[in-house]
Amino acid sequence: MAVIEEPLALPSGTTKARRPLGAFSRPRNATGLVDWLTTVDHKKIGIMYGMAAMFFFIIGGVAALLIRLQLAAPNSTILSADTYNRVFTMHGTIMVFLVVMPIGAAFANYLLPLQIGARDVAFPRINAFSFWVFLAGGLMLNSSWFLGGGANGGWFNYAPNNGAAFSPSTGIDFWNLGLFIAGIGSLSGAVNLITTVLNMRAPGMTLMRMPVFVWMTLVTQFLLLFAIPVLTAAQLLLLLDRQFGANFFNVTQGADPLLWQHLFWIFGHPEVYLMILPAFGIVSEVIPTFSRKPIFGYPFMVFSGIAIGFMGWGVWAHHMFVSGIGPLSVTAFSVATMFIAVPTGVKILNWLATMWGGKLILNTAMLFSIGLVTQFTIGGLSGVTHAVAPSDTQQTDTYYIVAHFHYVLFGGALFGFFAGLYFWWPKIFGYKLNEKIGKWNFWGMVLGFNLTFGPMHILGLQGMARRMQTYDVSMGFNLWNLVSTIGSFILGVTTLLLFVNAWKSYSEWKAAGRPNVGADPWDARTIEWSIQSPAPEHNFDVTPTVSDLDDFWHQKYAEDDEGKLRQVATGDELAQPGNGEGVHLPAPSYWPIVLAFSLPIVGYGLIYSLWFCIPGTLLTIISIYGWALEPADDLDIDDHGHGPDQEMEPAV
Amino acid sequence: MRNGLSHMGKKFGSDMKILQSKPQLKLGLWLVGFLGLAAACADESKPLNTFDSDGEGQGPKATEIEGLITPIFAIAGVVFVLVIGGAILLTIKNRVKPEDYDPEDLPTQTHGNFSLEIMWTIAPAILLAVISVFMVQTIWDLETKNAEGELDVMVIGQQWWWEYRYDVDGDGFYQDANGDGVVDEKDAELPLTLALDPDDVVTANELVIPVGQQVDLEITSRDVIHSFWIPALNGKRDAVPGRVHTWSVEADEAGKYTGWCTEYCGLSHARMRMSAIALTPEDFETWIANQAEPAEVPEEDTKEWRGRETFAANCSSCHIVDEGDFNYDDYDPELITKAAPNLTHFATRSAFAGSIYEIYLGDKDGDGQDDTDANDNELDVSDYLILPQEASQEAESSADYRANSAQLKRWIQNAPSQKAMAPDEQRGMPAFPGLSDEQLDELVAYLATLD
Amino acid sequence: MTAIPVEDAVEVADDHGSDHHDDGHHTSLGLSNMKLAMWLFLGSECLLFGALISTYLLSKARFLTEVLAGNPEVLGTLPANLIEEFQAEGSVEPLFDIPFTSASSFILLMSSVTMVFAHQAISKNDQRNTRLWLATTAALGSVFIAGQVYEFTTFYNEGLRFDGNLLGSALYTLTGFHGVHVTVGIIMLLSLLVLAFRGKLNQDRAETLELVGLYWHFVDVVWVLIFTIVYLIP
Repeated sequence: MAVIEEPLALPSGTTKARRPLGAFSRPRNATGLVDWLTTVDHKKIGIMYGMAAMFFFIIGGVAALLIRLQLAAPNSTILSADTYNRVFTMHGTIMVFLVVMPIGAAFANYLLPLQIGARDVAFPRINAFSFWVFLAGGLMLNSSWFLGGGANGGWFNYAPNNGAAFSPSTGIDFWNLGLFIAGIGSLSGAVNLITTVLNMRAPGMTLMRMPVFVWMTLVTQFLLLFAIPVLTAAQLLLLLDRQFGANFFNVTQGADPLLWQHLFWIFGHPEVYLMILPAFGIVSEVIPTFSRKPIFGYPFMVFSGIAIGFMGWGVWAHHMFVSGIGPLSVTAFSVATMFIAVPTGVKILNWLATMWGGKLILNTAMLFSIGLVTQFTIGGLSGVTHAVAPSDTQQTDTYYIVAHFHYVLFGGALFGFFAGLYFWWPKIFGYKLNEKIGKWNFWGMVLGFNLTFGPMHILGLQGMARRMQTYDVSMGFNLWNLVSTIGSFILGVTTLLLFVNAWKSYSEWKAAGRPNVGADPWDARTIEWSIQSPAPEHNFDVTPTVSDLDDFWHQKYAEDDEGKLRQVATGDELAQPGNGEGVHLPAPSYWPIVLAFSLPIVGYGLIYSLWFCIPGTLLTIISIYGWALEPADDLDIDDHGHGPDQEMEPAV
Repeated sequence: MRNGLSHMGKKFGSDMKILQSKPQLKLGLWLVGFLGLAAACADESKPLNTFDSDGEGQGPKATEIEGLITPIFAIAGVVFVLVIGGAILLTIKNRVKPEDYDPEDLPTQTHGNFSLEIMWTIAPAILLAVISVFMVQTIWDLETKNAEGELDVMVIGQQWWWEYRYDVDGDGFYQDANGDGVVDEKDAELPLTLALDPDDVVTANELVIPVGQQVDLEITSRDVIHSFWIPALNGKRDAVPGRVHTWSVEADEAGKYTGWCTEYCGLSHARMRMSAIALTPEDFETWIANQAEPAEVPEEDTKEWRGRETFAANCSSCHIVDEGDFNYDDYDPELITKAAPNLTHFATRSAFAGSIYEIYLGDKDGDGQDDTDANDNELDVSDYLILPQEASQEAESSADYRANSAQLKRWIQNAPSQKAMAPDEQRGMPAFPGLSDEQLDELVAYLATLD
Repeated sequence: MTAIPVEDAVEVADDHGSDHHDDGHHTSLGLSNMKLAMWLFLGSECLLFGALISTYLLSKARFLTEVLAGNPEVLGTLPANLIEEFQAEGSVEPLFDIPFTSASSFILLMSSVTMVFAHQAISKNDQRNTRLWLATTAALGSVFIAGQVYEFTTFYNEGLRFDGNLLGSALYTLTGFHGVHVTVGIIMLLSLLVLAFRGKLNQDRAETLELVGLYWHFVDVVWVLIFTIVYLIP
């Protein structure tokens, strides 16, 4: 095994530093809570992303059910207009920024290094920082529930309604600063993950041998890298308007409110694709595995993903067909939007072609993947109908749009994520989820989902506008709203089956004495299945050398003399034993979490009193220097003679 | 490993039986859904429907949009059936029966097919290109028609009601913003004020239009973004403060067409409704001539006269009743929008408070049907110009046709309890708890004279 | 087994393989992680500045339209002499002192040159010149910031308020936001200088200096853009 026999030779001319620059040492041998708080292990960070997202998912889900409860019957008064506005705003904001995005980040964090054959991401501490700063921003946003009742401007938060004159309560400030802070995490995460994918691939892992999931995540991170700063700029303007009396959205001074819309949607539309692409990546792993065939048209899957990424930048104004952007813009964006359906369609057809002639194993992961293919198709088709601008003038801001994007984001992204959870659960936790509950989970969600959002197509076409606290009996929306509400409760309950499943499967596994699930329980294709389950802390005992797309599968199967494919070895026979002896891992650090949680202090200061900003900013600066100057590693083991102590990092 | 896999196969076995019935269940659900849709459509009236289900009552613009989108829906439907059907068929056909499961027995390993990929890239692109041609045609057709109407109306959205200014003199200007007594381009360059072009008329919530004539709208807003939408007459267009958007509506038949604000505009977004009342051209002429008249002052020491006193003391700081000598220079309401609904001809309207309450109740023309529902398209507008005091000549049951006094009084006394508003932030109407029952009665009597 | 895992582990161990670029350790792209990350970060910054520059252009245009139309709300935020000059010129040029800003822009551009000298010095492990040029770069940057502070004071005294009108908000925000970037750059330069004086800035850290240099050049280039768009184009 990998045992360090002697220090590697130093290149000539370098001096070996003995003393760290900083006064603080890094935490050692931490256990329990401190271990999680200071970890820089991409797998633990991935799990924490997932847990945090699930926590916010429950909050967002409760908000969704409150909305449906209020709309179950006409002229209902369960929620007041003010409460309703806050609840639907928080529902949308939480689901987009604190659920779908971080679940994507959870999968990316956990899987990227494993799928490209790396020991960790390029910058483990920045990775920890990305998570903590996302959590800090998310918690700050949610603290508004108790400090004034939540944001009330809609997740799109249009100007000038988001200004101090029309929304004087602090909800919008929490929205603005919470997402601003969370955005820093997305940005640093994007830089980190792109660097990881581009630079830390195992030998032989060329770009065109990367799993589709890695590709889709790479595209996603590029979208984040360029989309987040545009939102950040808009939020900066709003911050200056609300807190410091600037006039960017002050119409009495001649400002144009459409500026916010353009900035928001230049961010917002790539955002839509960066929410769905990770799920596309996931099902592109699951469907081949359980069809027992390679993905059909791999290069087309990759290039269509890239095409979606590029085209996603040229269609933002289709959110603004009725905003008065002029017929020329409407025409251009309308046509562009139509054609973004092409690469998406290519993906759908390639998945179907993968299933064509396959031998399908219909377990829960596969069912959720097929669920994505079908439900997303419905969302895609309804998308084409309102890409037609004249038709959109009737459909936009109605429940038809609500139906559309829930088919895309719930039926698409979340179904994909559920597929991924069922698929990678044994790799992450060492046991499989119960298939029986899984089937209930899937079919219940399909039923509940279609009952909830299917009728919204009809309601929208019948003229039911969005963001309405209530509607009148005479409008004729009663029946379908009731159906939708019933569906939403079915959906809510059956979604929770995931948690039931996790708990029950874990108990049974524990009761059975924690049997080893094996490295490769699904007879899967990519190299993350060549290591033990759960994935050992050091990932790979030996960095794999890759010679094929689906490299692990090709190690297991080969043609015999007659040209027939035969299993030459099982996954467990090939798997690395998980012996991490001598593998050196980055030491944990306190600074990522300290730096992350210093930012909301500045945030609260901006809302309540600028004096609070002083300690917040001081803590931020101290954390940055503490981070930059802390020893590269534990001094005890930082003795390979390789490299000096530590270097400055710019405050990214 | 092999044992593990076949164990997995056996485990699937138990689940497989459940699965066999499930795809059919899914299809069944959709079927039930569509049948239900049909039933529901036939059952209830859908005043805001974007599709003309019963073949009448849509304006030509809405019809043009529907004509464009209907075949696209059909195409989408075909693709839907093909893809979803294909996915379900593939799933059923290719699933591995547990007894047949064998890890050695791999399916043919196809990696892709270049020409197939090119085909299913090009084919949808061509289809979409064809759709785009029709789409672009419709966009420009609708757009170029927008300024061709004879009557111009400025539509102004504000939290949470609509104001309409009719350019009666046809000069293209709606205000005398600099107060120099001349209405010209200089005024048009300035931000929106309350100072009306003296030749124009102003009303609220109900857009009265002549049948068979295109009415051009200049849509803007005084505070946040709203969206003007009357589904049966045209799509929607946002009302953005600081911008004026051209739009147009046209009705082929007399009637009432309802709509509601469709851009989230804060607290009472759900209660910002409106309607268009399409009258015959003759009725419209009568209506607009009446709107140009100043309000009459009630006789002294009558109930109405006392109501006017109460109005002057409590309401006129925001609401305008123009008795012919209104001076905009003295008028500066404590509202962010600097505007409240103009009530000069309040009694000629059929709804108030952002079209959520009826001004009148009962059977107007004596046909035994309730003619009033603020959110319903069923209103019979042939008698729109008839007011309660005249109704007695028209219908025997006129006693049933009356002002909605109870609701009006509730509204005046405590508007924020009826419709969420934020008067403390200068947005919306405050409560007047100090008004006595008698004062409210007199106030309502006064409002009824404003015809 | 081989030494591959050892190398890998070490690369992970110090967060970035950046300081190994000269000892034969290679990444998939051959570009060090830190440098790649810095390029990505700067790419992201482009969009941030792009959004703010667009905001400035739009806001200035809307501001001018209102001033020329004589909107009393906007005119009320400006002293009479500025209104007259703006209306006469049909632009906001009268506000600016082009020669002064050109001079300070030139100083900032020169700091990029001295930054290059610092980088050259450290590649030769010339400690004395590294310190000298780092200090010069930081000093030139500080002179630029001082110029900006002076300029802001002038604008303010002329009657342009941050919370007054669109032009004030947009101008102070765009140039101020750039100024914050320069300031952060100066802080990084000074931190490097401290390291240099403590003898910690050896050749191994050449890349750290190079990264700060990349950032510094980026900020300079952005200023060229802002200077052109805000000051030179009427």
